[in-house]
Amino acid sequence: MTAGELAEITGLTLRVGAVATAAILPPAVALGLLFARRSFRGKSIAQALVALPMVLPPVAVGLALLLLLGQRGPLGGLWSRLGIEIVFTWWAAAIAAGVVGFPLLARASEQAFAAVDPSYERLARTLGLSPLQVFFRVTLPLARRGVLYGALFAFTRALGEFGATALVAGILPGRTETLALGIYSRVQLAEDGDALALCAASFALALAAMLLAEGWLGGGAASGTPGGERGRR
Amino acid sequence: MSEASTQIRVALSRGGFALDIDAAWSERVAVIFGPSGSGKSTLLETLLGLVPAAHARVKLAGVWLDGPEPGVRLRPEQRRLGWVPQDARLFPHLTVEQNVRFAEARGDVAGGSAAFSRAIEALEIGDLLARRAHELSGGERQRVAIARALASGPRALLLDEPLASLDLPLRARVLRHLLRVRDELEIPLVWITHDPDEAQLAGDRVIVIEHGRVVASGPPREVLWSRAVLPLSEALGLENVIDARVASTGAHECSVETARGLRLVLPISLPVGERVCLGLRAHDVLVSADPPGRVSARNVLPARVTNVEIEGGDARVTLDAGEPLVAKLTAGAIERLALRPGSQVYALIKSQTLRRIA
Repeated sequence: MTAGELAEITGLTLRVGAVATAAILPPAVALGLLFARRSFRGKSIAQALVALPMVLPPVAVGLALLLLLGQRGPLGGLWSRLGIEIVFTWWAAAIAAGVVGFPLLARASEQAFAAVDPSYERLARTLGLSPLQVFFRVTLPLARRGVLYGALFAFTRALGEFGATALVAGILPGRTETLALGIYSRVQLAEDGDALALCAASFALALAAMLLAEGWLGGGAASGTPGGERGRR
Repeated sequence: MSEASTQIRVALSRGGFALDIDAAWSERVAVIFGPSGSGKSTLLETLLGLVPAAHARVKLAGVWLDGPEPGVRLRPEQRRLGWVPQDARLFPHLTVEQNVRFAEARGDVAGGSAAFSRAIEALEIGDLLARRAHELSGGERQRVAIARALASGPRALLLDEPLASLDLPLRARVLRHLLRVRDELEIPLVWITHDPDEAQLAGDRVIVIEHGRVVASGPPREVLWSRAVLPLSEALGLENVIDARVASTGAHECSVETARGLRLVLPISLPVGERVCLGLRAHDVLVSADPPGRVSARNVLPARVTNVEIEGGDARVTLDAGEPLVAKLTAGAIERLALRPGSQVYALIKSQTLRRIA
């Protein structure tokens, strides 16, 4: 394996993780807010459903995605009529990573929003802000540590995703081969040196992400407590 | 007769508690007084549009917020009311300046940056602008919260127990700021408190609430010491609250004068011109029917009896000594001195019994 190949695999992994995280960010945060602020019938069922990809075997999630996105699946059929193929492309890897990371982000957001005292939001309303302005100026900033933590977890989960990705994206060198998939296929081919090099790259990424989390978020609890403000100055 | 500028008719029930308020007034500064749990804060949240009421018909400072037609109701962000919550509630993720400028995000704050500078100046928080809420003392936080409400260009200011969370020295300081805001900015105020001293000092009109209903409404002195309200105010408050300024000062004492010309001597030295709010218990006021000779009391005030109320062995005598004063005597003393409305007497007040509130 050349250095170029290693860089390519690492780059693809980062791209899959970034796209997956960016795509799930709005819906997962919105769902977290909904769960934190509203009570409605069937809420616990909805919460359980959202958590499912976190607890199911990733391979099972991958199979479900394959059935959904494959040419004969309801979504895949629709797209293939438009000339778009998803399965066995890096987009499929990103979708798999997003689905698996979604519960992590939604859960973390829910907890972060639940920790925001609603009286700040009420106060902001009386100062003339609409509910949407209140969300962006008060709720989200106060919950941002928890939400960022969740996003970072979803991102790192995406970097390491294997089971679901292998099924729905395959292991196509240069096209869908992420670090995790690459390690597996190199071990299968008894290319232990390459496998170890990919492991080292994974290790470096994971470490960087965790260091980022510590430095950026102060490594603290996921909440909007004022104590967390000190690190920013 | 012109219609009252503020009219409140609110009914709601929440978790076993029923609020049923009917009140109207035209005074600029109104105090809503009642013990904790009487429904004052719930009423305030209803005025702010934050609590849905089964029935709400609210006109505040001349503007209908709920009604007059049923079902017509402004959203909280449309009401333009400056709310100062009990514990300040400064946004922890923002600096003091960002807190005070918070309402500017909506883009149409009346007065804009002029309102900001005026609020900063009135509350004397210019030195705190770069700090965050957790770096402020309780009193500073409260002042920033008041400035934030003022800078939003509100049509009225709603203060929810603004001094309740502060200890005594801070209370006096914040109270002075609040009185200054009240006098300098001509904005309608609704001031909620459970403290009778604050109630006497703050407003021209006191609305007393108990168990979710209005039990009395009127000028502070008449209302707070009326029979209906007495049990609420007596345990906590000072029957006499006097607002004055230092007229002259010496090494160990000073002389203060009220707006209506009553002069009192205090046993402390204070700078001339400083505002002082004094509290005095009714049982610390001595009444003499004859001019007293050489007495130790520093304050001997000629006065006229305006009212005598006898209940059992106790009597409450209301005096006019330039300012109204309430004295608590025994029924026997009333008889011995033959006090009745119109009697000319002398009120004796030891300067040590005058307590400075603010």
